[in-house]
Amino acid sequence: MALLEARNLRKTYRLSKSNVVEALRGVDVTIDEGEMVAIMGPSGSGKSTLMHVLGLLHKADSNHGPAPELRFAGQDVTGLADNERTRIRATEMGFVFQAFNLVPTLTAAENVALAAEYAGTRGPAARAAAIEALGLVGLADRAHHRPSELSGGEQQRVAVARALINRPRLVIGDEPTGNLDSVRSAEVLGLLRGLNHEHGHTFLIVTHDPEVGEACDRIIRMRDGVVVSDGRDVARAIA
Amino acid sequence: MQLLRNLARRRLRTGLTVSGITIGIWALVVFSSMANKVDALVSGGSDYYAGKIVVSDGGFGGIGGQPMRLALIDELAAIDGVEVVVPTAAMIAQEIQGVSLGPPDQVWGTPVGADQGRETYQPLVATGRSLTADDEGTDVAVLGSSIAAKRSAGVGDTITLNDRPFEVVGVLEPTLSSPDVTIAVPFTTAQGLVHADLPSVVRDAVDAAQLATSFVVYPSDSADQAALADTIEAALPGMTALTGDAYDQSVGSSVAVFNSIIVGIGLVSLIVGGLSVINTMAMSVAERTREIGIKRAIGARRRRIVRELVIEAGVIGTIGGLLGIAFGALVVVLVNEAGRSSGTILFELTVGTAVFALVFSTVLGVIAGIVPAWSAARLDPVAALRYE
Repeated sequence: MALLEARNLRKTYRLSKSNVVEALRGVDVTIDEGEMVAIMGPSGSGKSTLMHVLGLLHKADSNHGPAPELRFAGQDVTGLADNERTRIRATEMGFVFQAFNLVPTLTAAENVALAAEYAGTRGPAARAAAIEALGLVGLADRAHHRPSELSGGEQQRVAVARALINRPRLVIGDEPTGNLDSVRSAEVLGLLRGLNHEHGHTFLIVTHDPEVGEACDRIIRMRDGVVVSDGRDVARAIA
Repeated sequence: MQLLRNLARRRLRTGLTVSGITIGIWALVVFSSMANKVDALVSGGSDYYAGKIVVSDGGFGGIGGQPMRLALIDELAAIDGVEVVVPTAAMIAQEIQGVSLGPPDQVWGTPVGADQGRETYQPLVATGRSLTADDEGTDVAVLGSSIAAKRSAGVGDTITLNDRPFEVVGVLEPTLSSPDVTIAVPFTTAQGLVHADLPSVVRDAVDAAQLATSFVVYPSDSADQAALADTIEAALPGMTALTGDAYDQSVGSSVAVFNSIIVGIGLVSLIVGGLSVINTMAMSVAERTREIGIKRAIGARRRRIVRELVIEAGVIGTIGGLLGIAFGALVVVLVNEAGRSSGTILFELTVGTAVFALVFSTVLGVIAGIVPAWSAARLDPVAALRYE
């Protein structure tokens, strides 16, 4: 069953009068529930923009070309207001970023609990859930350390715990292994793969790393703002 | 907790901003305390003048005016609407002046019981007793609280006035007004002191027992005080008749101006403090752009970002306010203690002033935090995440 369906996604950034970037030029993608999908492509291909639109951080353009359409878990989310999009991000999505992006003044547990609080869980319950989520990524014993006291791999595992604490339907990763050496990278990748298998979380991962791509069920390749190949079509063609 | 950690990670800047608010609140507390003191003086005067008309020959309220004939009592009493007339003899006690707000130290005497129960302004006796009719002709004195402190004199002690020894028989409770700086002596004794203080040419021409420096007129219930004062001034050319209302108008309005100026100074320093909160919060938002982006991306609503930052700014204001009140109170207490020996009480810090200062500094912090917080909440999370 499709968790995410996107049609006619366009996004143009006007950086200045003469510098207009067409980051997405009509993209259609479908992500099924429980899938682990990689979006790959060279820099400037539009893969990050696609992730921002699918992750409800940005809206697709609706002022030119065919009307865009974005459905998440059966709901039309194309034109939702900021508050609604924020609520869906908080409760149904999890984010893992390249630069880990933990709040430096908070401990690992507090960082993780933050996401639960934003989703509406009260303080003590959020903290308990945070400890549990940290256990899931093997960091229960580091719960009360600040990000500066953790290694890069550990920080990214904290970020994964934060992304998973609300049991989201979709976890979005933006180069989640980009800042890690190959050992840590394999560690984090194994963690994501395991979570996908055991808990059925749907993953959408933007990456440069071929190993990450290979570990995924399917790769969507982009170039110049359009999808140039989609493993789904390949699979269909073979079938 | 997280909030305090956020404040603590920019210790220097938070400290400086808190200091800005602290200084503003300090100024507000100190100046307001001064204004409170002035207000207490004025309302003391207002209470004293209520319901009576003070007739004197120039000079304010009979102090420092020219001596008058005691026989004027009869002329005043004959005026329609005048019910009771009480003479007073008062002079400025020059040898014991200190620096103080308000009226000068004075020696004052009036015949006990002459008011026939009309006088309502009665300072309380702290120790000893008040003067009685039997004291007439003796050198005894009841001291105002500031005078007693200044001269370190209590009941049973002897003080010197114009080279004459006086036995202290009572000390009054503080009123924050004229009685604090007044030495009350029997009327005939006051007459003698006033007489002795006159230039020799005048002194030889008048009899001490026949002089007064002012008259307190208690009007009948039906009399219009302002009209009666006009009648008195018309009947006794050269005399000034001051009613309670006239006192409130003349003194009250100039005091109001004085008070607004000093409170204004405090407020201006607070506005500067408020601007520094805006600056700190704007810097803090810029510094935390990425963090705000993270929070927005993982699901923090705009309202929540605004709330976090506004509360943080409010806490800066509250801390500054508490410190300002503490330092202000310290100054008020120290200066008052230092001045107590010389009878100089400059400040009065009230609970109302402290509460106002605290509420004001908190609200100031919150208001100063709103604009930076709002602009933080409007940030595009994606752009904020990329911010270095």
